[in-house]
Amino acid sequence: MIIKILLGYILGYLRISVEGYYIERFINLCNNKKIIIWNIKKDKNVKIYFNVSIKDFRKVAKIAKKFKCKLKIERKKGIPFLLNKYRKRKIFAILLIVVVTIIIASSNFVWNIEIKEEKGENLEKIYEDVKEAGLSIGMLKNKIDRKEIINKVCLKRDDIAWMGIEIKGTNVLISIVKSDKKPEIINQNEYCSIVAEKEGIITKINPQNGTANVKVGDVVKKGTPLINGWIEGKYTGIRYVHSRGEIEAKVWHTKSIKIPYNTTEKRETGNIQKLYSIKFNKFEINLQKRVSKFKIYGTIETENKFKLFSNFYLPISVKKTVLKEEVEEEKIYSKEQAKNLGIQQLEEELQKEIEDATKIVNKNINTYEHENDIEIYLTYEVLEKIGTKERIIF
Amino acid sequence: MKKKKFRKIDKILEIPSEICSNESKITIVGFNEVIIENFKGILEYEEYFVRIKTYIGIVNINGYGLNLKNMTNDDIKVKGKIESIEFEKMVEENNDN
Repeated sequence: MIIKILLGYILGYLRISVEGYYIERFINLCNNKKIIIWNIKKDKNVKIYFNVSIKDFRKVAKIAKKFKCKLKIERKKGIPFLLNKYRKRKIFAILLIVVVTIIIASSNFVWNIEIKEEKGENLEKIYEDVKEAGLSIGMLKNKIDRKEIINKVCLKRDDIAWMGIEIKGTNVLISIVKSDKKPEIINQNEYCSIVAEKEGIITKINPQNGTANVKVGDVVKKGTPLINGWIEGKYTGIRYVHSRGEIEAKVWHTKSIKIPYNTTEKRETGNIQKLYSIKFNKFEINLQKRVSKFKIYGTIETENKFKLFSNFYLPISVKKTVLKEEVEEEKIYSKEQAKNLGIQQLEEELQKEIEDATKIVNKNINTYEHENDIEIYLTYEVLEKIGTKERIIF
Repeated sequence: MKKKKFRKIDKILEIPSEICSNESKITIVGFNEVIIENFKGILEYEEYFVRIKTYIGIVNINGYGLNLKNMTNDDIKVKGKIESIEFEKMVEENNDN
């Protein structure tokens, strides 16, 4: 039944009222002439309402004339009548067609490139490299050769482990996994010696192959050879080997900070001013005056690209600048407070640097008090393996 | 005579009688709908009374607000509050109103 109604709506139908005698005969004649009429309703005595398709209306009119009935069109329904109504609005129709074609045409281009790195690490100049490889904004979508671009970029840069290009609507999503720099692999057959990476005091040295160059308790600098890659024999002379061994040393991690007793601290008052501007690629239009009414303020800029549907980006974006008013406040620390604050900050910094927190042997805090500020030195003593292999060059 | 021959074949093939012959099929759906297949024409149509002629007789439908919903060449659907349905069996073949 829904299909019938839809079909009737598409082809168009009329609701007609017929007034006169011999209405039964009228219906029968319609039926005999294979005119389909539906929804017949009788009103009072001499009037009936029914629906008839546009195609059959003329035949119905003829029959009505034959029976001397009054015929009146009550309602017109369907798409043909709707189109007829809008036929005079030519400019509207033309504009509609133009807009639709523009949307369809512009959906074939790339309007936004989004680069997503794993863990939020930033790779330098990746955008320029991608652009050089042949992917830029305003490009035809079907001209993008993903394999070629990935190959080009991956060949050019050695810090990319994996790269994927995904096209979503007019948006291109590039996802990148950063790779760690590979350590230089030295072949087992090649001769090498072990060299210190960092400064430190040797606490343990255990050469498995080669001769030890330093003793326990020696202070080494960066680059000092720890295990030499050769063995001296009384009778055999010097024999070069691929040296191996474990070296552990005490390494100092030191950080310092200066904390003044009197500081000015900025605090937000909660007053916010929003400024908007529209951006076409690089061309910017400000909607308001750029001068702020605040004396001291911090700014936060956010840029939103226009999109039509879920992923149809347009090359227009709205830039929103939020200005937050701030007030400077003076704060006075006591010696103890300043010291604690400094130590806390330093500890946080050092904790990031040290990989294995269980290997920390000693903590050392030195403070130097001055007139206006306090200087804090924090030193961690950590046991670390410091040897790296280095090829012997003859 | 021809019809009789066809009837035999139809019986073997089990074709519904309303298709192969002029016998009409009257379906009553609930109290609000009557579908009559193989009808000849409408004799009277009022809001409270519909008189439909078929090949085997006349069907009278009494009720309120009767509408003729679908009407094609050989079936008709009457909708409305139906109170009673009566049949007038045709006695002679050539007894037309």
